[in-house]
Amino acid sequence: MRQLSKSKELWIFIILIVLSALISARSSVFLRPDNLIDLLKNNAVLGIMALGMTLIIITGGIDVSVGAVVAVLTVIIGKFMVTLGGNLFLVFLVAVGSGVLLGLFNGALIAFANIPPIVVTLGSMSIINGLMLYYTNGAWISNIPSWFIDFGQITLFKFTDTAGNTVGVPIQIFIFLAMVLLTWALLKYTLVGRAVYAIGGNLVSARRVGINIARTLIFVYAYMGFLAGVAAVTHTSIMRQVDPNAFLGFELQVIAAVVLGGASLTGGTGSIIGTVFGVLFMAVLNNGLILTHIPTFWQKIIVGLIIILAVSFDVLQRKRMEKSLPKIDVEN
Amino acid sequence: MKRILTVLVSALLMVSLLAGCGSGGSGGQSQQQGNEQGAGQADGKYRIVVMPKLVGIPYFNASEEGAKRAGHDLGVEVIYTGPTKADAAEQVKMIEDLINQGVDAIAVAPNDPAALTPVLKKAKEKGILVVDWDTPADQSVVDLSIHQIDDKEFGEHIWDLLVESMGTDEAEYAIITGGLSAANLNTWINYGLEYAKTRYPNLKLVTDKIPSDEKQQVAYQRALDLIKAYPNLKGIIGISTPAPIGAAQAVQEKGLQDKISVVGTALPNDSKAYLMDGSLDVATLWDPAKLGYLTVALIKDMLDGKKPTDGQEVPNVGKITVKPDGKTVIMGPPTDFTKDNVDQFNF
Amino acid sequence: MSRTSKERVLLYVFVGLFALMSLISPNKFLSPGNLQSMATQLPELGLISLGMMVVILTGGIDLSITYTAALSGIVGALVLSAGYTGGAGEAAAGLLIMKALLAILVTAGLCGSLNGFLVSYVGVSPILVTLGTMTLFEGISLWLTKGGAVSGFPEEFQWIGNGYVGFVPVPILIFAVFAVITAILLERTPWGRSVYMFGCNPVATYFSGINTKKTVMWVYLYAALLAAAAAIIMISRYNSAKVDYGSSYLLQSVAIVVLGGTDIAGGYGKVVGTVIAVGIIQVLSSGLNLIGINRFIVDVTMGALLIGVLLLNYFIGKGSLGKGVKKDAQKANTAL
Repeated sequence: MRQLSKSKELWIFIILIVLSALISARSSVFLRPDNLIDLLKNNAVLGIMALGMTLIIITGGIDVSVGAVVAVLTVIIGKFMVTLGGNLFLVFLVAVGSGVLLGLFNGALIAFANIPPIVVTLGSMSIINGLMLYYTNGAWISNIPSWFIDFGQITLFKFTDTAGNTVGVPIQIFIFLAMVLLTWALLKYTLVGRAVYAIGGNLVSARRVGINIARTLIFVYAYMGFLAGVAAVTHTSIMRQVDPNAFLGFELQVIAAVVLGGASLTGGTGSIIGTVFGVLFMAVLNNGLILTHIPTFWQKIIVGLIIILAVSFDVLQRKRMEKSLPKIDVEN
Repeated sequence: MKRILTVLVSALLMVSLLAGCGSGGSGGQSQQQGNEQGAGQADGKYRIVVMPKLVGIPYFNASEEGAKRAGHDLGVEVIYTGPTKADAAEQVKMIEDLINQGVDAIAVAPNDPAALTPVLKKAKEKGILVVDWDTPADQSVVDLSIHQIDDKEFGEHIWDLLVESMGTDEAEYAIITGGLSAANLNTWINYGLEYAKTRYPNLKLVTDKIPSDEKQQVAYQRALDLIKAYPNLKGIIGISTPAPIGAAQAVQEKGLQDKISVVGTALPNDSKAYLMDGSLDVATLWDPAKLGYLTVALIKDMLDGKKPTDGQEVPNVGKITVKPDGKTVIMGPPTDFTKDNVDQFNF
Repeated sequence: MSRTSKERVLLYVFVGLFALMSLISPNKFLSPGNLQSMATQLPELGLISLGMMVVILTGGIDLSITYTAALSGIVGALVLSAGYTGGAGEAAAGLLIMKALLAILVTAGLCGSLNGFLVSYVGVSPILVTLGTMTLFEGISLWLTKGGAVSGFPEEFQWIGNGYVGFVPVPILIFAVFAVITAILLERTPWGRSVYMFGCNPVATYFSGINTKKTVMWVYLYAALLAAAAAIIMISRYNSAKVDYGSSYLLQSVAIVVLGGTDIAGGYGKVVGTVIAVGIIQVLSSGLNLIGINRFIVDVTMGALLIGVLLLNYFIGKGSLGKGVKKDAQKANTAL
C-alpha cells in the first residue's frame, strides 16, 4: 500500500520533470530564477488551499466551498484593515479565526448530521458567495494600508542573477513552505494525522479501533478554514486590492491540483508531497503556455491533452508495475 | 398522514423564512413587491427593467446607481437585475420571468446578442419596449440601441493611446482581454487591430489576445509571463476593467515603468495607485453611471412617445449623438484618466 | 418505508414551494405565460442533470458534461449556418436540420466515448479524465468559434426550442421523453441493473460476470447523449451556439442530482428524484425572480434549501426508523 502511493508520487514527479524539460527546451526563460520565483509566488495561494483539500480528500470528503470561503475572508480582512486598521498579527488572527468558524460550520454538518460533504459544501458555497456579494455588491476594496502592502513586498535571500537583476525570495513563498511543513508534520507525526488516513481507508475499522470520527472530520474542515485564512492574507498581500469575485471557480483548480497529485476521491490515499507536485504541475503548465509562445486558441486544447495524457500515463505505468508484483490489491 | 403534514408545514416555514429574509434585506425590492399587488401600473409609474450582463461587479454597480438615480429623478420604477454569472442562458430565463411579471420596457446588455433574439422578440410581441444598452443586441428586434461609445472610435482611440504612451509606433505589444468570448471586448479589439494595420503598420502584436478570466490576479500572472517571454515588449493593452490593473501591477513589480507602457479600459478608483506611479500610463472609459442614467432617461422619453434626436441635451448626461437610423444613440467620447485628472472622478 | 422515502419528502417540498409561490403572487406565478416559460426553461438543466445522475450512479462524476453540450452544439450550429442560404425550401431546411442533429449526436458520441474509454478501459478515475476532457472540449470549442457565437439558422429550427404542441412547449416534451427513457433504461434493463450494482460495489459486480467496462462505457456515452439533447434545445432556443452557453450548469447539475436523493458515492438514485429536484430549483428560481428578490439572495436560498432538504431527510430518518437508517447513513459517509 505504502509502496503504491510512493510510486504514484514518483510518476507525477516524472511527468513534472518531463514537462519542465519540454518547456525549457523551447524557452530559455523558464528555468531562470526570477521566473521560478514568480511561478511559486503566484501559485502560493493555490498551494496553501490544496494542502487543506488534501486532508479532506484523504478522509473521503470534498470541499467545493473553498473558493467562496477564501473570497469572503479576503473581504473580511480588507474591510477590517480599511475601517479598523490593526496590525499584521490581528489581520492574520481575523482571517484565520473567521476561516476556522466557517470550517466548523461545514464540519459540524458533515460530522453530526451525516450529510455528504459535497452537498454541505455546495450549499455553503451558494450561501457564503450569495451573502458576500449581496453585502459588498462586488465592489473592490482598494485602499489597503501601506504597512500591509509593505509586508507583501518583503523578500529574503536577495541575490544577483546572471542578467544582473537583484532577485529575492518573496515572503509568500515562505508562508507556503511553512504551511507545507506544518501540514506534512501534522499528517505524519500526530494522532489526528493517523486518524485522517484511517477514516479514509476504512471507516468501520477506524471506528472499531476507537478513533473519534466526528472530531476528526470537524478538525479537518476547520483546518481547511485555517488554511483558507492564511491563503486570504497571502493573496491580499500579493494583489494589494480585494476583488470579491477573484475566486470564482477557484475550487475546481484546487481539487484538480490535489487529484493530479495522486489523492483519490474515494479516500485513504494522498500525500502532501504528491499535492505539492500536483500544484507545481498546474503552475508549470500555465506558465509554459505563454513562455513557449503557444497561440491563444490552442492553449486550452493543449492543456486538456496534457492532463489526459499525464493521468493516463500515470495509470498505465502503475498498472504495469502492479502486474510485475505478485500481490493483487483489490481494495478500490 | 400526520407526518406528511409536519413535513409540508416545516418545508413551508423554512422557505417562507428564507423568502422573508430575502425581501426584507433590500429596500428597493420591497417596494417592487408592493407594486406588483397593485396590478402593474395602477399608480401610473412606468416599470423599466435594466439588465446588466451580470450583477456584483463594480462597473455594473456604478451603472445601477445611475439608472436608479434617473428612476428617482424622472418618477419611473427601475428594476435593475441580472444574472450572477455572465451567462446568456441565465439572462434569457430572467427576461422570460420579467415578461411574465409585466413591465413596460426592458433594456438589456446582452452576454450574447444572438441568444437573446428569440426572447426579445417575445417581449416585443407582448408590447414591451425593447432596448439594448452597453452591448448591442440583434438590431432587428430593438426599438432603441444605446451605446456608451462608438465602438470603432473607441477601439482606435485605445491604439492611439498606446502609441502615444510608448512614444513610438515601431514596437512590440500584447493584448490581455477579459475573456475570449466577450462580444464587446472582441469588437473593440478587432476595430483596433484593423486600424493599426493601416495607421501603425510597424506595430507588432507578439501573440494573439490573452484571456484573463476577468480577474486581476490572472491578468497579473499573464503579464509577468508576457514580459519574460517577449523581452522586447514595449506595450500592453488591457481590455476589460481588471486587465490593465493586473498588467500594471506586473510592470510595477518588475520596475519596468519606463520601458513598458500599459493602457486600457479601467475604472479610475481601482487604477489610481497604478496611474500615480506610472505603471499604468492611461486608462480610458466612460462613466458607467451616466450610461445607466441615459438608458432610463431615453426609455422614459420613448414611453412618452418622444424619440431621441441628434444633438439632444440630456440632463445630467450631456449631448448625445443619434445615428441616421434614428434608434442608435451614442453617449459621447470616452474619458481618459491619467495621473493628473484621476482624482476628479469617483467611480 | 416508502412513505418517508427521500423522493416523497422532495415531492412535498416541491408541492409546498409551488403552493407558497402561488399564494405570494397568484396572478403572475400561476399565469399560463409563467407556467409555459418555466416549462421551457427547465429542460436544459434537467437533461444535463439526468446525464450527471447516470454518471454519479456509478460513483463517478462528469465535469465535462456542460462542455460536451457546448461543443456538440457548436458543431451542429456550424453545420446549420454553413448549409443555410436564406430562403431555401422547406424540404431543404428539413434535410439540413437532420444533418445538424446528426452532427450534434455524433460529436457528443465522440466526447462520451473518449470519457468512457479513458474511465473504463484505461482505468483513470472519472474526475481526472473529465477534468482533462472538460478543458479539451472547451479548448476545441474556442478554437472552432474563436470565442464568438455561431448563428444564422433556418426559421424551422427554432421550433425545437421555442415551439408549442398545443399549449405545451416542445422542450418539456423532449425532457419528458428522455426522463421516461432514462427511467426505463435504469430500472427495467440489465444495463440499468449493472449500473446500480457497479455503483454499489464495482469489484463484486466484476466478479459476478458482468462486463463492467462495457457498462461504464455506455454510461458516459448515454450522459453525452443527454448533453446533446440539451445542446439541441439550447442552440435552438438561443438561435446560436457559443462556448459558454450553459457553463453555469455544471455545479448546479451536481447539486440537483444530490438534492434529488442520489448517493454521491453511487449505487442509489432515482430518475423521479432528479426530475422533482429540477422542478424545485425551477419553481424557486422563477418564483423568487417574479417576486423580485435580489439575485444573490436567490443563490443563498438555493444553498439553504440544499442543506435544509438533506437535514430534513436526516431528521425524518432518525425519527422514524432509528437504527436502520443510521446504518445506511454510515455507509454513505464511508464512501464520501
